[in-house]
Amino acid sequence: MRESKSAKLNQLQQQQQDNHQNVHLSPSKLAKLFDPDASWDKDQLGDVLHWIRQVVGLICGLLWGSIPLVGGIWIILFLAISSGIVYGYYAMILKVDEEDFGGHAALLQEGLFASLTLFLLAWILVYSLAHF
Amino acid sequence: MATAIPLFASFKYTDSLTVVGISFCTALVCKAISWILIYRTSSYKSLKSSIDKASRKLETMKTDNPSSKLTNKKSKTKKIDRVESSLKESSRDLSLFKFKSGAVVALVLFVVFGLLNSLFEGKVVAKLPFHPVTIVRKMSHRGLKGDDSTDCSMAFLYLLCSISIRTNLQKFLGFSPPRGAAGAGGLFPMPDPKTN
Repeated sequence: MRESKSAKLNQLQQQQQDNHQNVHLSPSKLAKLFDPDASWDKDQLGDVLHWIRQVVGLICGLLWGSIPLVGGIWIILFLAISSGIVYGYYAMILKVDEEDFGGHAALLQEGLFASLTLFLLAWILVYSLAHF
Repeated sequence: MATAIPLFASFKYTDSLTVVGISFCTALVCKAISWILIYRTSSYKSLKSSIDKASRKLETMKTDNPSSKLTNKKSKTKKIDRVESSLKESSRDLSLFKFKSGAVVALVLFVVFGLLNSLFEGKVVAKLPFHPVTIVRKMSHRGLKGDDSTDCSMAFLYLLCSISIRTNLQKFLGFSPPRGAAGAGGLFPMPDPKTN
């Protein structure tokens, strides 16, 4: 009983500390993105992976529309590249145990569809405007 | 100066920018309506909070030390079932709550789509850098003449804009449904239809 109370108190203090850090210390947030020892909440990791996918989708769309790269194969390649980057990030940089977050499927699907539509949108727009 | 050509006059597919612009503005308007009718209300905040708490509690209970006595396991399973049913109930209440308010947003989207349809019916607004598969072509070549499958109609571009802009806007503003709620974070996380 006493142990669970003190654990709860510690948790509350940690949360307050985290909130304080979230409000004031962005360098520590950036450091956390590359720190394999940092502890991750399921929501936090999901959000980071989501935004990584969006950035990759936007960059790929802008790049491939500019060159231009044409053909459906580039959609498959984009999916492979963006999934590879996300996998490399959580497995090799963060070194998280995927079982704690619902498995590889749960992590790899974060932001997948939104990034695909964003990639297609950027690719189509740049291709249409720059080459016609 | 008199002969200066406007920036986008030389582009063949400037209509695509109009579609994107209207889609973006619509997304902002829908979010504003959702915020007024849903997100700022105390009912939504309390439901979301209870779902978050229940999800976390459920995760903790499921990952606790499994090597316990049979009687403890039975009582633990009962507790897990109770928390799960409470989570399902809160998720259902949240969905119902959003559904009632989502009708207004749905009406706005319907009107905007009708407007865009009347403006761009039969027009090629963009060029696809790939040949779409049959099922996609039905949307991408909707209302267009000719056989060139790389011609893109307003409907397909609007669909891409809607999904990408609204999903990311929802995420950015922190209005995404909690991951513990039914259907959240799935393979195809469409922007929450009851709020958009």
